[in-house]
Amino acid sequence: MSIWNKLRWFAVAALALPLFAQDKLDPANSVKIDLQPDSPLALISMSMGDSRASTRGGAMVLDLHMELKLRNSGFRRVRGVTLLITTQEFAPGGKGSVARPCIDVAPTQEFSVPIDVRLVRPVQQVASGPLVRVQLDGVLFDDLSFFGPNKLNSQRSMTFWETEAQRDRAYFKHVLQAKGEKALQDEMLLSMAKQADSQLDVALNRNGRAVGSLVSSNEHMTPFAFLKMPSAPVQPVQGWAEISGNEARSPEIEVINQSAKAVRYVEIGWMVKDGEGHDYLAGSVPGSSTTMLLPPGQHSRLLPDTTLKFSRTGHPVEIKGMTGFVKQVEFADGKVWVPSRDELKSSGLRIMAPSPEEQRLADICRNQGLPALIAELNKF
Amino acid sequence: MSHHPSEAELALLAGGECGAVSRFFLIRHVRECRQCTEATARFEMLRAEIAHPELPDLDWGRLESEMRANIRLGLEAGECVRLFPAAKVWNPRLTVAFASLMVLAGAGILLHSNEPVTVKAAEPVLQSSGAGLELRNGSSSMTLMNRNGSVADQTVSAQGEIGARYVDGGSVTINNVYLE
Repeated sequence: MSIWNKLRWFAVAALALPLFAQDKLDPANSVKIDLQPDSPLALISMSMGDSRASTRGGAMVLDLHMELKLRNSGFRRVRGVTLLITTQEFAPGGKGSVARPCIDVAPTQEFSVPIDVRLVRPVQQVASGPLVRVQLDGVLFDDLSFFGPNKLNSQRSMTFWETEAQRDRAYFKHVLQAKGEKALQDEMLLSMAKQADSQLDVALNRNGRAVGSLVSSNEHMTPFAFLKMPSAPVQPVQGWAEISGNEARSPEIEVINQSAKAVRYVEIGWMVKDGEGHDYLAGSVPGSSTTMLLPPGQHSRLLPDTTLKFSRTGHPVEIKGMTGFVKQVEFADGKVWVPSRDELKSSGLRIMAPSPEEQRLADICRNQGLPALIAELNKF
Repeated sequence: MSHHPSEAELALLAGGECGAVSRFFLIRHVRECRQCTEATARFEMLRAEIAHPELPDLDWGRLESEMRANIRLGLEAGECVRLFPAAKVWNPRLTVAFASLMVLAGAGILLHSNEPVTVKAAEPVLQSSGAGLELRNGSSSMTLMNRNGSVADQTVSAQGEIGARYVDGGSVTINNVYLE
């Protein structure tokens, strides 16, 4: 065999290598589903869809498109589920979760949870065994009782979602009864227009400057302005963040508990204004759940140690002003407060994202029509 | 011209080296100014003198022979002290072959190394985009994606968490990624 023939065979083998590498990893064996033995949910099946593992250059890429089918094996109706996704080898220093809020699953009924995750890491570091672990973090029932290890504080999140869902269903039922179908339709159109509007892309890291930040020479402390929520049990007193171009570092907000009950969690909604006067919903500044217990009349500071970088359609959004408002409060007894629809309207808060339930109802109206929406509202 | 031209201008005029416009104005002035006429005449005389300098009495033929001999001697001395041969024509095949050998040797060393790979500690960064939420740590990453490219409403917590909420098939799904 001449030298050129040998080289030709070598080139063919090099081109075929990625095809063999694609079959090397079995996606189904890469996932471990871990439900507690006393869990009120049972795993019925797991489909992997078009999940695949492949190599690209020096990296291994695992695309998982799973659908877990679960059954409510308890005796109460399930209103929400949160699954914890861990993959320490791919994402050290972080974890994920997939939640299904605003569901209504009766005992013995089945429902599904989609999990779409992409994992990338250098090829030579891939270890054997499951690469992704899916665990149950929590189940919320219709009486707002909870089951699960709650590692992600999913009890609080799901309780807030359910409280907002009850508020919004009651509001839309009231609109229907008081003003009729046309008014309900108008409300839904308004809700659809609000969705995915005024959003920013955000990069977040724990310490230091965020990657790709716009460095500005005029780094300065910018104070928060606050919107008034009269019925909020906790009120913001003052707050500021270190602003540099499109980057906000270490926001700090002082709050006072004006209620008669102890508070263990507060979340302040955070809006930013750009140089052209556009407002965007940037995120929220929460209190630390592990250390905070705020007695009546006492002050506390919310001090998240993070840096956030804002952009929109790939362009940095320079921060010119910030506004905060009380978004959520959890009392020590587990009860929660969320602003009423009237308060949201009267505060002038036009860019607040709709709740998960409002989003679901708008989707029913869009895809199935107004009669289906009315039937859905009448279920509750 | 209201004032006398400079000596440099007059010297240029005497040598016929000034421009047409300034020549016109200088001639107009010199015609009416005795002082400048004399100065220009002096420059013309000086120019005529240096146009024919007296050459020294030298043997020009001998001088030329010595210069040629020195040049030849320098060239021969350069040939004697040259350490490397003159550049030859570049051979691309030889270069490609050598580069391929280097790549093969390097890849072999890397692939057969038994030493554990040292991963540089990187700071994890959490980022949202239209496709989903990505947690990146060095060359590794985890992305929770929105199913079927659904448009998601995003929530960001300064505590170190980003959420993406979307509706698919009539049900709401909320993906969250957390920095630890």
